[in-house]
Amino acid sequence: MSNNPKRYHPSWLLFEYVSFLKNAFFFILFLFILRGDVMTGWILWAKIIFVLFAGWTIIHILLKWFFHTYQINNNSIALREGVFVKNHRVVPFERIQNHQTNTNFLHRLFKLTSLTLETGTSDSESSIKFSVITHDEARMILKKIEEQDAIAEVDTEEVLEKPKRTVYFRSTKRDTIKAALTSFSFLAIFPLLSAAYFQVNDFFDLEETTLSAFEYFKAHIGLLALLFIVAMLLSVVIGYIQTVVKYGNYVISADDERIYIEKGVWNTSTFSIQKDKVQAIKIEQPLIKRLLNMVEIKLISAGGLGEEKLETNALYPFMAKHEAYALVNTLLPAYHIEEEMKRLPKKVLFLKLLTPYYGTLIVGGVLFFFQREWLWVTGVVFVLAILSRILDYLFTSYLRHGEFIQTRKGGFSNETLLTRRARIEEIEVQHSWIQRKFDVASLKFSNRAKPVFVSELAYLPKEDVAAFYVWYGERK
Amino acid sequence: MYLNIPEPSRPISAKIISIWRWTNTIGHTVTLIILGALLYFDAAYNWVSWIDNVIYILIGLMIVSAVFSILIEPPFVQKSWRYEINEEFVQLKHGRFNQYHTLIPMTKVEYVTTDQGPFLRKHNLYNLKIGTTTSSHNIPALPKEEAIQLRSQIAMFAKVKDIEGEEVE
Repeated sequence: MSNNPKRYHPSWLLFEYVSFLKNAFFFILFLFILRGDVMTGWILWAKIIFVLFAGWTIIHILLKWFFHTYQINNNSIALREGVFVKNHRVVPFERIQNHQTNTNFLHRLFKLTSLTLETGTSDSESSIKFSVITHDEARMILKKIEEQDAIAEVDTEEVLEKPKRTVYFRSTKRDTIKAALTSFSFLAIFPLLSAAYFQVNDFFDLEETTLSAFEYFKAHIGLLALLFIVAMLLSVVIGYIQTVVKYGNYVISADDERIYIEKGVWNTSTFSIQKDKVQAIKIEQPLIKRLLNMVEIKLISAGGLGEEKLETNALYPFMAKHEAYALVNTLLPAYHIEEEMKRLPKKVLFLKLLTPYYGTLIVGGVLFFFQREWLWVTGVVFVLAILSRILDYLFTSYLRHGEFIQTRKGGFSNETLLTRRARIEEIEVQHSWIQRKFDVASLKFSNRAKPVFVSELAYLPKEDVAAFYVWYGERK
Repeated sequence: MYLNIPEPSRPISAKIISIWRWTNTIGHTVTLIILGALLYFDAAYNWVSWIDNVIYILIGLMIVSAVFSILIEPPFVQKSWRYEINEEFVQLKHGRFNQYHTLIPMTKVEYVTTDQGPFLRKHNLYNLKIGTTTSSHNIPALPKEEAIQLRSQIAMFAKVKDIEGEEVE
């Protein structure tokens, strides 16, 4: 069974045009509304160039849509694109590492969605993105991919049972309130305001207006306080809405083959990865989450993860630690997170503290030459450096059990990584002169991810490092 | 005191010592000429006062670095370089003060290339570059026959393994 080549859904054009308008919004506002009546000098030129550019873009988008086709075959997807330079590529389904969909407000309006298929390659063409696609079409493509996985897995079995999908986590209103508080999203209004301020300031000179506004508020301090309270209330509401949009309706489910993560209200996104394509598990604990005993667990995958801000690969980031660990153990029985890990030998603390303080030296040197009255800052930097080294020593730990290696690093915020021997791409062991005096060594290993994920652990007992090297040499 | 791990055994060509001496001399000379030119312009056009201090410090550092990387370092690096390949792994080791041991499974090798610049060509030597899924590694200065043979050997091992690897993973 092979489908004919298809073009993208016609509303792709609409989406492209809307996004073009969005990007050009301030140019249009400035050139044709605020300076609409000016027809001289550089403004005239800017208008001409803009009109030419816009005309070209409108035609180009149309041509792109016309020439861009995709074709779903039995076990691959073929893409043809390019207006002048033709480009034809075929991506076998088995190369697809993970996939995600994202439905924003505009998609919802037209009952459409977007779909991204990520392959594991490192070049720029590593993903296939359908920025507009009907739900049925997306479902059809995903079904094909998932069937392909199933066939590859159970080659001999005659009957392909539809794997049962179980829901393991569903966020409640309480979770969302907790999330809104811990993510400090109630402060979200400030970055939003400052971004808007700078964007506007690029086009109009706000500096002077701002100054006179300051003068005004100085005279009316009560008004300022009132305004501040209103702004805070507004911020809390906006923060809560933002959290709901991003983390509301969070559902984590899985069947035998895959893990599915769905989230968001209005702007929904889904992420799905085959269980054995998980390269590693990363557990992050920033300071605030450590105090609240929460963790954030991410599934490292060879394919890119699209837009960073969506963080599609994270299990619910505001889950209590024991809950999250239990969830990982159920979702990925092949991985088991251990709490008790091996710490570094005591002498390493001295070694760490003895290493030259280059940062402090540079700060000291620069201040000495240029700003001698600020020389005391060097002292602060020095104390912070010592503190972070001590914390780093206290938190660094590691454990190798069976096929797994688990490492933890960090001071104020820490990060634990768990991966399997077969998922480590290469290792490097480093042994410096000073490390030889202390009978320690460093080890470094890489996991496939985008960008490459390199874990480095310094100052482990040399016997453990040697054992690690031999252990890796015995893989397969 | 040293790590108790299996070490690779094959050395790289000793001719690389003089090549490194030459290339480092050229590099340092060019940098010193540029710094000298900057010093001249500084004096001629009266730049801000701290710039000449910075230039003097940089020249001092460059001279120390030149002595180290032209006279002292090359023989140590050459003597410490070892590599070995077998059906399963590429194994690399280099460095005397800081020792580096690298272990790359053949299944993870994506490409292997040889290349040479003018200095290597003069001595009929090749660089062998091994690219993996996550990074790339360089074995400097191999005699021509050895480099070509290694290249095809690695290519063969990596290819055979890849098919098996796909099934396992």
